[in-house]
Amino acid sequence: MQRRSFLQRIGLAAAATAATATLTPQSLLAAEAPKGPNTMDIDTALKAITGGKAVTPSKKVHLKAPEIAENGAVVPVTIEVDSPMTNDDYVKAIHVFATKNSNVRCADIMLTPANGAAMFATRIKLGSSQDVLVVAETSTGEFLSAKQSVKVTIGGCG
Amino acid sequence: MAERKSLIKIKPKKFKSGDVVKVNFMVMHPMETGMRKDKKSGKIVPADYITEVKFFYNDTPFTTMQVWESVSTNPVFTINFKVPAAGTLKVVYKTNTGEVQEQSKKLKPKG
Repeated sequence: MQRRSFLQRIGLAAAATAATATLTPQSLLAAEAPKGPNTMDIDTALKAITGGKAVTPSKKVHLKAPEIAENGAVVPVTIEVDSPMTNDDYVKAIHVFATKNSNVRCADIMLTPANGAAMFATRIKLGSSQDVLVVAETSTGEFLSAKQSVKVTIGGCG
Repeated sequence: MAERKSLIKIKPKKFKSGDVVKVNFMVMHPMETGMRKDKKSGKIVPADYITEVKFFYNDTPFTTMQVWESVSTNPVFTINFKVPAAGTLKVVYKTNTGEVQEQSKKLKPKG
């Protein structure tokens, strides 16, 4: 009897995990962005992520960053992307670049419709005054971008 | 491996199931780039930074992040999450030195 109840429990647990799996579809999670050497310039990094596809500047991507950052070691960045976030149309990934750092890639965020809204915020280091570039990848295969220049008074790297 | 301090904050504090909430994940981590020199010894401080952050809800991943050196010391990662029902939010992160740590928080939507 003990074995039977144990097996039943396992079955229940499996069913429960299956249910949650349909709730937040794991297959919708974008594959990891290709990794590369840490000293890529912005063009090669963009190529590695987009696969040579065109990146179009779009008003759907809202990038909030300070115009003048006193301390380059802590620059708050907020990204919001207008998207319905349904299973057919959602933001797959958000890529954040600091165009003049020795490693231009800051963070790659893979989102799913379970997020409800496409938003990401963090604090980044900037070595010198430069542009912060954000590329949002939608599930329809588009690459939308937004850019803002940040003036840094004290560098944050090194 | 020393336990690092990390914290998950949910904003707003009161929410219903189906609401979109902000999830703040903070870690006390030096995020060494591997380019900084120690002022006393003059030696380069080896790189030690977070490379991967994964968010799970009831053990189902819903957001993954790849992180590089350019993220600040003691990083904060904020994302949105639509709470389907009560459950456990778990965050697992890895560093380039092979350290793996996790933090979890139970979410109890009201109504």
